[in-house]
Amino acid sequence: MSNDRYHTVGKSILRRGAKERLTGNPIFCADMEPENALYLKAVRSRHPHAGILGIDVSSAMSVPGVVQVFTAKDIPGKNLMGIINKDQPLLAEDKVRSLADPVALVAARTPGAADLAAAAVSVDYDPLPAVFDPEEAMAQDAPQIHAKGNVMVQKKVCRGDVTAAFDKAHTIIEKTYRTSAIEHTYLEPDAGIGFPDEDGTLVIYASTQNPHYDHKEVVSLLGVEDHAVRIIQAATGGGFGSKLDMNVQGFIGLALYHLKQPVRYVYTREEAFLATAKRHPFVIHMKTGADETGRITAMQMKAVCNTGAYGSYGIAVASRAAVHATGPYAIDNVNLECTAVYTNHPFCGAMRGFGTPQMALAHESQMDLHARALNMDPLEIRVLNGVKKGTVTATGQVLTDSVGFQDCLTAVQPEYEKAMKGWLSEPTPAYIRRGVGIGGMWYGIGNTGVQNPSTARVAMDREGQVTLFTGCADIGQGSTTVLSQIAGEALGLDAMDIHVVVADTKYTTNAGATSASRQTYISGNAVKQAADKLADVLLTEAVNYLKIRKSDLRLENGRVFDSRHPEKQVAFSRLAPRILDKGGELSWQGYFDPETVPLHPDTGEGIPYSTYAFACHAACVEVDVLTGETSVCRVIAAHDVGKAIHPENVIGQICGGVAMGVGFALMEEFVPGETISMNDYHIPTAADMPCVIPIIVEASEPSGPFGAKGVGEPALIPTAPAIINAVTHALGKRIYALPASLERVLDASIASGHFNNCYQES
Amino acid sequence: MTQTRIPVQFILNGKKTAVDILPEQSALQVIRDELGMKGTKEGCGIGECGACTIEVNGQAVNACLMFGVQLDGCRVMTVEGLAEDGRLHPVQEKFLAGHAVQCGFCTPGLLMSTHALLGENPEPDDHQIVQAISGNICRCTGYQQIFSSVRAACGQSDQGSVRENQDSKEERC
Ligand code: FES
Ligand code: FES
Repeated sequence: MSNDRYHTVGKSILRRGAKERLTGNPIFCADMEPENALYLKAVRSRHPHAGILGIDVSSAMSVPGVVQVFTAKDIPGKNLMGIINKDQPLLAEDKVRSLADPVALVAARTPGAADLAAAAVSVDYDPLPAVFDPEEAMAQDAPQIHAKGNVMVQKKVCRGDVTAAFDKAHTIIEKTYRTSAIEHTYLEPDAGIGFPDEDGTLVIYASTQNPHYDHKEVVSLLGVEDHAVRIIQAATGGGFGSKLDMNVQGFIGLALYHLKQPVRYVYTREEAFLATAKRHPFVIHMKTGADETGRITAMQMKAVCNTGAYGSYGIAVASRAAVHATGPYAIDNVNLECTAVYTNHPFCGAMRGFGTPQMALAHESQMDLHARALNMDPLEIRVLNGVKKGTVTATGQVLTDSVGFQDCLTAVQPEYEKAMKGWLSEPTPAYIRRGVGIGGMWYGIGNTGVQNPSTARVAMDREGQVTLFTGCADIGQGSTTVLSQIAGEALGLDAMDIHVVVADTKYTTNAGATSASRQTYISGNAVKQAADKLADVLLTEAVNYLKIRKSDLRLENGRVFDSRHPEKQVAFSRLAPRILDKGGELSWQGYFDPETVPLHPDTGEGIPYSTYAFACHAACVEVDVLTGETSVCRVIAAHDVGKAIHPENVIGQICGGVAMGVGFALMEEFVPGETISMNDYHIPTAADMPCVIPIIVEASEPSGPFGAKGVGEPALIPTAPAIINAVTHALGKRIYALPASLERVLDASIASGHFNNCYQES
Repeated sequence: MTQTRIPVQFILNGKKTAVDILPEQSALQVIRDELGMKGTKEGCGIGECGACTIEVNGQAVNACLMFGVQLDGCRVMTVEGLAEDGRLHPVQEKFLAGHAVQCGFCTPGLLMSTHALLGENPEPDDHQIVQAISGNICRCTGYQQIFSSVRAACGQSDQGSVRENQDSKEERC
């Protein structure tokens, strides 16, 4: 849809909050220093798995400057946290399950005293055998991490007759893929501050992706009434899923509850690495069968993912992985299963894509393997199998609208062909081999087959000023700007003319998590609904005032006017008092919950999402066959976002996603006990980045606000498989485990003979 | 138990500044904790992320790796020194217009790296730009809009992206 018909939607307006960030305003939690704030410090486990026989805090209490040392028995409410399954204590009670587990919390007048006291807390541990490998943890005699057993959840999706389809298949390919644990490495380490306000409310500013969840969780930990706690999202320096869990919020709540005095807790980078969620490492066994034309007829997939000591978002990761295993391809016979297993690894949770990036490595590698087996072009096999309108997915859902996968394939085709024909045949030094690879993806917007509504309020005051109240946390992706644009569009206002109150549980209502690429679509709809209701009240009053029928009236620039005679108009500021004086309502609530149907526990049948985003990336890489160094030169990234409400924000997500995908593909691996700080964990810098060519595809989603879906996670998903396929293309040898580090690429180079050929020549 | 403090004096954002600091304090701690200027960020504390980048005598440095006492007698600039009378500095303007700010935690450091680069070399080529900003980690943007904004701040076209420019640089050498 052309942007001309829109007032502000589709325009890359300046971002809300950018000026404060550019001028260095103290808006992040670490920048806030309430007077006389105490410093908090958690004491963490010394063992990956151990019983706790006793905790002695007496010597810690005698450290000068220490105010209090808390243990589990000081928690007045329920000592369990977790957004899906509550299995994680704020402070360990009878046992620790990972090295990250907190056993005590120190509050002290100086950071130095807090550190000294933390070291002086003495815990009597009874070490237990530990298990880190999820497949080992599934064994009968494996150490039990939780009372319910080590298998946290198993999600299945089955359809058709896989056995019969494999019997008839022309080609069968069966492989095992592995991915690493990933640290989100948002640039702002987790932080929060808190203080009691005049009426005794415990106020907590936090770096968070979900303030309303934090609120519920702190209230439950403390066993207090809802109104006793107020969470305000401070500026949040990235999250990527990790700031969906409670990080410092619970500690701050506990100390505030007892001490009634300002407190602050800012993680060092080392503590953020140790104590926060990771991306689940996966082992994926995938078997696919194709007919002689290259059509994939069957898929069997068994994956095991390591959720570490606690569930966090692990159940969502497992179900999303199972549902997304087929990739954006129509496969009639499937048997898909993903098991999430507890181990003594640091806990794993949500990270950009929830298991879909891991699954994409497998399905995109299989696609290329089938293409090779049948001597087909990788793009051609994806066009052949790619979903279209009318495709029935693995869960039995018929895709009816906004199915832009084929459009994405078409969009990358010209650049892809240019690369295959021109760029590949350019002369390079003998030790450099070039390759081009494709990665496709689909991604369901919102949570999987469960309710995940959002609410919002749009209100006008007597003077005609509009304020948007939204609980949606903007963590850098720009949701506050986009939601203002959506409200502005409905009301004919510039986005910047709308005041915003964001993510403050005292004033905003629940918008759900900033995750699952859901905010533009779900909160966008809630905002639009609220703004539409307000617009309707204004129009109704304007009918009275102007004596013109509603269908001829339009809203623009703070007034209502007759579209046929624009000089006939009335300002909002005139309408507002008239409405209020009649007892009318100028404050409206919006609500939206995508239409889904819960998945059947045995077959996975149902409607997991009401809409999907699609994408295709093509990557051009150069591999140094002597060193194993891979450099990604170009990524062409086509994304079907439904409608780009703010195109530059979409481009920012795409480029940022590609960067994270480059890291996932080539360099990032979190090794517990070894990865301590940013010294040991490298993420892409400007010098590692390819040229990204973002292409926005808009297959309008009828249920989306102005047709929009989402892009945050999709941006990352196809990059790594595209790079791996390109490296394979360059070397003629495939890598099945991420990251494709120097060592792994060099091994592939040696195994393929390129290393030797080149070495002998030189 | 009071530790001996050391007096240091330097020019901070054009203003004479005197402060008594502890010998072990980093320049970052002096700026954030002693002087209460929170624009300069701490992302790692060990010289890996660039969030703490400030300009000392015209050079971009990681404030977390520098001792506070080393600031003595220096000309120091932090992000707070860029805008004048509420008017954004041209580098800030380009970052704003170029959509180079997402979460914004890396932004002050990147602005200072860019400012130092332009002070040393008003017409950097693309390779020099990448060099100058490659010590600043940004997890959100993928650097492309940052790179274009830096280019624009150098008076160049804001088109183009990191790698193409690295390539063209390689071709030129
Ligand atoms: S805080 Fe100084 S480089 Fe990271
Ligand atoms: S904008 Fe978030 S780290 Fe750069």
